Amino acid sequence: MNRERAVVICPGRGSYSAQELGYLARHHEQRAARIADLDEQREPRGAAAVASLDALSRFSPAKHLPGRNASNLIYTSAVMDFAAIDQERFDIVAVCGNSLGWYLSLACAGTLSLEDGALLVDTMGDLMEREGVGGQLLLSVAHDDWTIDHERRGMVLSLLEKIDGAYLSIDLGATLVLAGDDAALARLKRDLEAAGGDAPVRLPKHAAFHTPLLSDIAETARGLLAADLFGAPATPLIDGRGGVHSPYAADVDALYSYTLGAQITRTYDFAKSVEVAIKEFAPDRLILLGPGYSLGAPIAQVLIAHRWHGMTSRDDFMAQQKRDPFLLAMGRDDQRAMTTL
Amino acid sequence: MRASLDDAGLSRIKLIELFESQIKSRRLDLESRRLAGQGKSFYSIGSSGHEGNAGVADVFRVDDIAFLHYRSGAFLIQRAAKRPGTPILWDMALSFVASSDDPVSGGRHKVIGSADLFIPPQTSTIASHLPKAVGAAYSIGASRMNPREDAVLARDSVALCSFGDASSNHSTAQGAVNAAAWGAYRAVPMPLVFICEDNGIGISVPTPRSWVEANFSQRPGLTYIAGDGRDIVSAVRAAREAEAIARKRRKPVFLHLRTVRLMGHAGSDMETQYRSRQEIERDADDDPLLHSARRVMEADGLSAADIAALYERLSGQIACVMDQATTRPRLASAQQVMVSIAPAREGLSAAAPKPWPTPKPVHMSRAISATLAQEMQKDENIICFGEDVGRKGGVYGATVGLQKQLGAGRVFDTLLDEQTILGLAIGSAHNGQLPIAEIQFLAYTHNAEDQLRGEAATLSFFSNGQFANPMVVRIAGLAYQKGFGGHFHNDNSIAVFRDIPGLVLACPSSASDAVMMLREAIRLAREEKRVVVFLEPIALYGTKDLHDSGDGLLLSHAPAAGAQAVAAFGEVAAYGDSEAPDLAIVTYGNGAVFARRSAKELASRGVRAKVIDLRWLVPLPMESLLRHLDAASPVLIVDECRESGSLGEELFTRLIEAGHGGEIRRLSGRDSFIPLGPAADEVLLQQDDITEAALSMTGTSAPGKRS
Repeated sequence: MNRERAVVICPGRGSYSAQELGYLARHHEQRAARIADLDEQREPRGAAAVASLDALSRFSPAKHLPGRNASNLIYTSAVMDFAAIDQERFDIVAVCGNSLGWYLSLACAGTLSLEDGALLVDTMGDLMEREGVGGQLLLSVAHDDWTIDHERRGMVLSLLEKIDGAYLSIDLGATLVLAGDDAALARLKRDLEAAGGDAPVRLPKHAAFHTPLLSDIAETARGLLAADLFGAPATPLIDGRGGVHSPYAADVDALYSYTLGAQITRTYDFAKSVEVAIKEFAPDRLILLGPGYSLGAPIAQVLIAHRWHGMTSRDDFMAQQKRDPFLLAMGRDDQRAMTTL
Repeated sequence: MRASLDDAGLSRIKLIELFESQIKSRRLDLESRRLAGQGKSFYSIGSSGHEGNAGVADVFRVDDIAFLHYRSGAFLIQRAAKRPGTPILWDMALSFVASSDDPVSGGRHKVIGSADLFIPPQTSTIASHLPKAVGAAYSIGASRMNPREDAVLARDSVALCSFGDASSNHSTAQGAVNAAAWGAYRAVPMPLVFICEDNGIGISVPTPRSWVEANFSQRPGLTYIAGDGRDIVSAVRAAREAEAIARKRRKPVFLHLRTVRLMGHAGSDMETQYRSRQEIERDADDDPLLHSARRVMEADGLSAADIAALYERLSGQIACVMDQATTRPRLASAQQVMVSIAPAREGLSAAAPKPWPTPKPVHMSRAISATLAQEMQKDENIICFGEDVGRKGGVYGATVGLQKQLGAGRVFDTLLDEQTILGLAIGSAHNGQLPIAEIQFLAYTHNAEDQLRGEAATLSFFSNGQFANPMVVRIAGLAYQKGFGGHFHNDNSIAVFRDIPGLVLACPSSASDAVMMLREAIRLAREEKRVVVFLEPIALYGTKDLHDSGDGLLLSHAPAAGAQAVAAFGEVAAYGDSEAPDLAIVTYGNGAVFARRSAKELASRGVRAKVIDLRWLVPLPMESLLRHLDAASPVLIVDECRESGSLGEELFTRLIEAGHGGEIRRLSGRDSFIPLGPAADEVLLQQDDITEAALSMTGTSAPGKRS
């Protein structure tokens, strides 16, 4: 039987929340040894063991949400999910991710070993937690039917132009993540509230990721992580500009420079990476790795924006999902069952 | 000696990247043919055998404007790789299956193009895109000396154009190469690379061995560089050499790349009808993909098994992309197809009141030069060029004094080649300039008409309005010239302009109209990005008086305070008694002057004639015309051009279609070329013909029979 062509999408920060507590234990019991290995590797660096965090009886924002722990939890859950995909059924033709998800993609695509991916994520999580400046605001610019409200989007983008220290951090198409220093965020919040519509939501414990405010962190990271950690990907990788890195032709030095350079200091265009994933690889399915599935709506919005498979609204997407889901979110039990052995 | 990776400055990884682009291009060709068999893809001229152009793409910058022929799939794919986030396979697939989602032509044609990648789309070209490449290169070179804010192309960029060995024989190619060399010979900066991809055959006709090299390697001002397009490393090496000359020395280069043509000219072409099996097999053995595979293996890049796996993976990927593309919508109505014929109107400004350009009444040619001077002072993007427009100021003085006033950078003489003049207009328009080109005589347009018909006018259509080449082409023409006779200087055929979708043709009949209409023509080009032909009746250039000696009615007069100083596009001009005329005379150009004179005579005979000057000949201003006509009154069409194929025919038809109830008659010139001397009057319509027909139509006795 022909395998289905699938593009794997790695989640970003904010995907391990209260409902995800116990995710590793629930889904990855048979991978417990590998999880323990990763924890063992993290320990000397002073990181909390994710198996223990995952096993806590209650979700604790103080323990589960800080950047380093959250990143390590998400990394471990996602890469284990990746390992759980039924490769007999799916031919994984490309991998992409959102923000933190880029680091996860590097590991899934084989650019980094599982261990080096964990090192990268833990190092960056630690750096961001200690030295990250500014913060992020989440803002929807979608109509109720999940099409992009171009007028509002345009308004927000032009507002960013006018405010010093404010940036577009992540472009999810119909959802925007804005970032800046505290003064810029305050002004953004005030101006956006004055403009009406949905109020922006401040993302707790997030720094101004993907902006020039983090240039110093990028430099520190390059000092801490050597280029030789990186190798050629085994699967095509799509970065946060929509650039494709192919297995044989990938420039590994360029991948390293991007990952610890522009990727940190420039807008992460997730919408573009999903657009490139569907258009250039024409997959039969998209598989969104767990934990969680909060990225599902933004992915659907990108599909709608490109009228993918004729979908032009939220209703179309929901109907398609019910009939024969194009997007399989491993963070949802029903769809997870369709992806694993 | 074979070029090494080091010679070409190529890394092992870059070599594999180029190889991937080549494979992608090949697979798109093959998939396109598969889908053509299912009736889902519509154009099968492919890039197979020419994939070496990926190497050229890699050497040049994304912002080096490239006018590419239809075998440039690999070039496009490789250039797109320089712009992360460009879904080039999908975009090309949409173009192959003619989906309206195609971001380049909007489903109108399979084109190699991309607005983001500085590749204006071409359709089937026989080198007709080469003159505009020369124009773009000239404009880039000039903007280095005179920087402009609105320049689109970087000052250190170069222009590229590609074509085949067979096309290199075409007059447009020869003219373009000649023009570039002519410029370089005069030390004019000309950062341009002609890329001749020589596959040795033009459809079924072989190109003589070494012909291209013999033809182009000894041209003054032109550097000839050869490479082997079958070997990607050789192609890159040669392209680097070409780039250095074009970019650093600002000189034109002829880059000759040997290629093969695989799978025939197009899907419908049975190669076995005209080539032997051995010849076909020899080319197949010389497949650039095989050469690249060998290069990759030699460079310890990949094993044969790796290469097979790569090919397999990309084949599957591209098949799925193509299949997915076939599900996308297509253009489904004439309205959808035609929407991009005229570029979208954008940012229209209210016409600012400006002083009349000629304080004293002057005749038409002086009025034109004064209007040009005024417009050029206001807009630094306007350039004015043609044969003899510079120091001489035009054969009829319509550009007198302009060069002195505005400098030789903006007002300049070209070589004697209309294809080059129009190509210069298109190319400079691509660089944000507003060209006002002059063609010295109407008859000279005909050898270059494809530059308007096939190139300038089609750009908006085939780029879905994303590219435009606004311009005003001033052409001196029509008959009745005193003192300088003969057909070529008195040509009265404008048929060439009449069926080109989107083109605007204007024709003034007085100096005042010339001022107002030229202003409007420039506005149409500047604001609405239109291609406007401004036809100047030679016989009226110096005509001052309408009725009586010294009345000065045809001179340029500033309108009285409060009077209309605009000749709006699509609006006719009416002269004479507008209240219940006995008949209307619909005309233009010299005919308008004859008709106005005739109307005076008719008035003395008690016939009230209203003269309507169409002013805008293409498209016909029917709405405005019908507003000025009484639906029941007689209409006399006075068309100074030939009886056949001229706009009198169309006007007649359109009036009938519009339900005009009154009698319609048509006067025109005879279906003849124009002879020398007084004999010309025998085949041209005369003022008396108008009077006679008008009297007859209104039931009044004819002149000469007065009682």
